[in-house]
Amino acid sequence: MVEVEKIREEARRLLQEGQVRGVIGYVRGPQGVWAVPAMIRNPEDVDRLVWNPTCVHNLVLFVVEEKKEQARQKEPDKRPLAVVVKGCDSRAINVLLQEKFIEREEVILLGVSCENSGVVDKKKLLNLVPSQKIEEIVYGNNGHIVAVIDGERRVFPPEEVLADRCLECQANFPVVYDHFFGEKIKKEAINTSPGVDKIEKMRLEERRRFWEEELSRCLRCYACRSVCPMCYCTECVVDPISFAVEPTTTAEEKAKKIKWIEKSPLLSENFVYHLVRAIHLAGRCVDCGECERVCPEDIPIRLLNKKLEREAWRLFNYVAGMDSQAPSLFSTFKETDPEDFIR
Amino acid sequence: MRKKIGVFVCHCGINIAGTVDVKKVAQELSEFPGVSYTVDYVYMCSDPGQNLIIQKIKEEKLDGVVVACCSPNLHETTFRRAAQSAGLNPYECEIANIREQCSWVHKDKDKATEKAIKITKGIVEKLRWNEPLQPIKVPVTKRALIIGGGIAGIQTALDLANSDIEVVLVEKNPSIGGHMIQLSETFPTLDCSQCILTPKMVEVSKHPKIKLYTYSEVQEVTGYVGNFQAKILKKPRYVDPDKCTLCDECTQVCPVVVPNEFDLGLTGRKAIYIPFPQAIPATYTLDIEACPGVLPIACGKCWDVCEPKAIDFDMKPEIVEEKVGAIVVATGYDLYDKKNMAEYGYGKYPDVLDGLQFERLLSASGPTRGKILRPSDHKEPKEIVFIQCVGSRDPELHNKYCSKICCMYTAKHAKLYKHHVHDGQAYVFYIDIRAGGKGYEEFVNRTMEEEGVLYLRGKVSKVFEENGKLVVWGVDTLAGQDIEIRADMVVLAMAIRPSSGAEKLAKILKAAQDTDGFFAEAHPKLRPVESLTAGVFLAGVAQAPKDIPDTVAQAGGAAIKVVSILSQPELLHSPLVAQVNEHLCTGCSMCVDVCPFSALSIVEGKAKVNEVLCEGCGTCAATCLRSAIEVKNLTHLQVHDMLTASLGGLK
Ligand SMILES: Cc1cc2nc3c(=O)[nH]c(=O)nc-3n(C[C@H](O)[C@H](O)[C@H](O)COP(=O)(O)OP(=O)(O)OC[C@H]3O[C@@H](n4cnc5c(N)ncnc54)[C@H](O)[C@@H]3O)c2cc1C
Ligand code: SF4
Ligand code: SF4
Repeated sequence: MVEVEKIREEARRLLQEGQVRGVIGYVRGPQGVWAVPAMIRNPEDVDRLVWNPTCVHNLVLFVVEEKKEQARQKEPDKRPLAVVVKGCDSRAINVLLQEKFIEREEVILLGVSCENSGVVDKKKLLNLVPSQKIEEIVYGNNGHIVAVIDGERRVFPPEEVLADRCLECQANFPVVYDHFFGEKIKKEAINTSPGVDKIEKMRLEERRRFWEEELSRCLRCYACRSVCPMCYCTECVVDPISFAVEPTTTAEEKAKKIKWIEKSPLLSENFVYHLVRAIHLAGRCVDCGECERVCPEDIPIRLLNKKLEREAWRLFNYVAGMDSQAPSLFSTFKETDPEDFIR
Repeated sequence: MRKKIGVFVCHCGINIAGTVDVKKVAQELSEFPGVSYTVDYVYMCSDPGQNLIIQKIKEEKLDGVVVACCSPNLHETTFRRAAQSAGLNPYECEIANIREQCSWVHKDKDKATEKAIKITKGIVEKLRWNEPLQPIKVPVTKRALIIGGGIAGIQTALDLANSDIEVVLVEKNPSIGGHMIQLSETFPTLDCSQCILTPKMVEVSKHPKIKLYTYSEVQEVTGYVGNFQAKILKKPRYVDPDKCTLCDECTQVCPVVVPNEFDLGLTGRKAIYIPFPQAIPATYTLDIEACPGVLPIACGKCWDVCEPKAIDFDMKPEIVEEKVGAIVVATGYDLYDKKNMAEYGYGKYPDVLDGLQFERLLSASGPTRGKILRPSDHKEPKEIVFIQCVGSRDPELHNKYCSKICCMYTAKHAKLYKHHVHDGQAYVFYIDIRAGGKGYEEFVNRTMEEEGVLYLRGKVSKVFEENGKLVVWGVDTLAGQDIEIRADMVVLAMAIRPSSGAEKLAKILKAAQDTDGFFAEAHPKLRPVESLTAGVFLAGVAQAPKDIPDTVAQAGGAAIKVVSILSQPELLHSPLVAQVNEHLCTGCSMCVDVCPFSALSIVEGKAKVNEVLCEGCGTCAATCLRSAIEVKNLTHLQVHDMLTASLGGLK
């Protein structure tokens, strides 16, 4: 079991010794039981840190945000950041390292194991119990989730309340870390993506209809992109609005900006957006599931990611974020790569 | 301000006009935004056609020209020159390929015309954003590196050195000469191979312009056309050629015997040896793999007897660096591995030989002093079977291609056999006879008619030993019957394979190989001696199986190609290279990893292009997730606008 006191101890030591400029972790949120991300800068605040099945967020996003913020500062604090990472989050760190977005020295990784379990899917749990009454959500035995309701413990089996990605996860402890909390218990996912299986079985026409239905709801709020730690580009190719127009940008340069897709959430444009997003994440997406979690329209975004994850494995034996030294999927070419798609 | 663009539509006789309504193309384009002049003409590439372009650029004050015609591979240069002579920057001229990509591949005139219009509109859109560019100037190192010292490498080296160009010749074996030095007599004239090759080898060794590295290998090549740096590994010979007097005392005392490569294992040699008497350089080599130890304690007998003290056990591998402007690959071939031919007993029965072993038997300096004797019992074979196409022309199991020289050398072998063994009978199994070449057909016919060699059309299924005879089972497809021959010797015309190190070398040089592993030429007809890598040329069997006359001709071709580069004061490199938008680049280095020409690096967190190395292939542009890198005059915007125009939309 992960002992949260141990995480706090380490965080406190790092802050007191001035080794880090901050600790990114989870704290109890304003809505009671549901944890939220927080940046702890004072040793006195470390007791706020929590670790429980509601720690769903991928905190690596904030490492990315901090990095961007630092680039804007004149004299940035060069000390590293400590960050709490689960298995999936740690793989996101590896991708950032592979892509040289960050250096290893810039982070101190407080790795936590999800052990036999994972994090809860709020929607699933709320379907079973109304939220107001939950006082606490903690790990039970054998991956079970325990919710304390009206002072009473209710035990839920993982299949009922864990996030889908945790049920499908095969790497439930960090692959890169400086301090490790909990136990490395390898668990076998039953199926890495039943959702993809289902879609692959559909006929082409059916598939198209499925996606048309799903994507027609997309508001293009870009929440999925904003929450993704891999979407760190200065300017996004699919985004015709946020062209970084500098004071020095000339009229000609502005005229040369390409509008690959229209701003309006038309179905055709939504398709392009989601396909480009997915392709740009091939071999990079670590399936932290954040995109799907934040989507206000419940679009099954992970399905696209999972399909590409499957293809990357099937074609190239590649799993995102397993090795910070390996070249990224996009930039590797082997003569033995399959070419059967060329006809 | 929008450019004023002229569109010139070519009929190419009926090549284009037969399938595409060229008048309609010109008409439609005249209404396209930015196009201020259009015309169609029967042959744009003709002198009057070019003059029309020049004249209209001037009269109509055009800022850019689109010629809708054949592939840019053919006339891009022609039209860019024409545009330049009218005062335009040549990069303001673009080709719309409406022949190879349209008229030649379609039948329906309406649809083809529609497509031609779209293609041309796309190119107009591209041209709209083209920047005027200047070629990049690069200095030239006036030296050439030749890899491989067979007849191909020797001839190229001599041709270049005699054109006053310094040559570095690298050969992996202890002596130059390649396979030709192992041959007995050569078809079609049957002159003695050594007699015609050794004078050239001596010339190489004496030529002041040739620097020879034998027992050496190219390890690394960096740089680009005009300016390569090569790292060459000199393996230690443990013998100082300057001190060695060729007294041969060492081989007398050396106790170790290993198979002799020069005789393809038909004889043995010592651990310290000279490959053959006329070896260049004329010196001994100590084979460290075979020698029990360089420590004199282990053996050191040779060191004891060497009076001039030429043996030096302390020699170390050495790496030398050479700067050159061009490279010629002349690494030749190896025979197909005998492991693959178990059904013919090759490697199992001593009297089943390959063609090169038979050459050694025929050679006056060979193991039998030119007598044809069976390796097993030194008896003269009275019945001999030659099998052609062993491992060639067999796409299912072996190599799909024809090894080209085997028909000829088998005819030679059969003929020479008959010259030696008058009362012997020779049989040749063949699929068909390919004797294209001056005097070749006659040569084969004489072998059949004058020498009484029996040619059997068909394949051999099996060779096995029985009572001291080699039983050959085959079919004669012409007579339609099974054949069994009880032979004394079997000679296999093994397929020609690229030499063993070809793949490694191709990687070092970033030169492509074809599907069979031979070095790929840039164009099968028009650029047969150029590789796909600028400044790297090909000669001899390294490029494809061929005989000595063809090899020598190609060597001369490679030499003149090298001269045409090295004779220039500076080289001009295409300015169509990648450029980085530093604002968008995050320094992820994916482009660095994918660039096939190592033209990219990360400098201060951003990608940086070495413009001289960049070939403008665009692999980086396709890889970058952030569209932060693109090729000049083929920017993302241009691709986008071309697509829009070709899809029928207008911005
Ligand atoms: C049995 C037989 C009989 C033949 N008879 C005739 C004939 O009668 N008439 C005729 O015209 N042709 C004949 N040929 C063909 C002839 O052998 C070739 O045309 C000729 O040898 C080709 O010369 P080359 O220099 O291209 O290759 P090679 O002779 O193979 O020379 C290549 C050289 O490069 C060296 N090398 C290889 N790799 C490297 C490396 N990585 N680094 C440095 N050095 C390297 C090799 O050691 C070798 O010295 C015959 C061929 C065979 C197999
Ligand atoms: S791939 Fe793109 S972002 Fe990455 S280093 Fe190259 S140009 Fe920069
Ligand atoms: S275009 Fe890009 S990938 Fe191609 S050679 Fe140039 S830098 Fe390398």
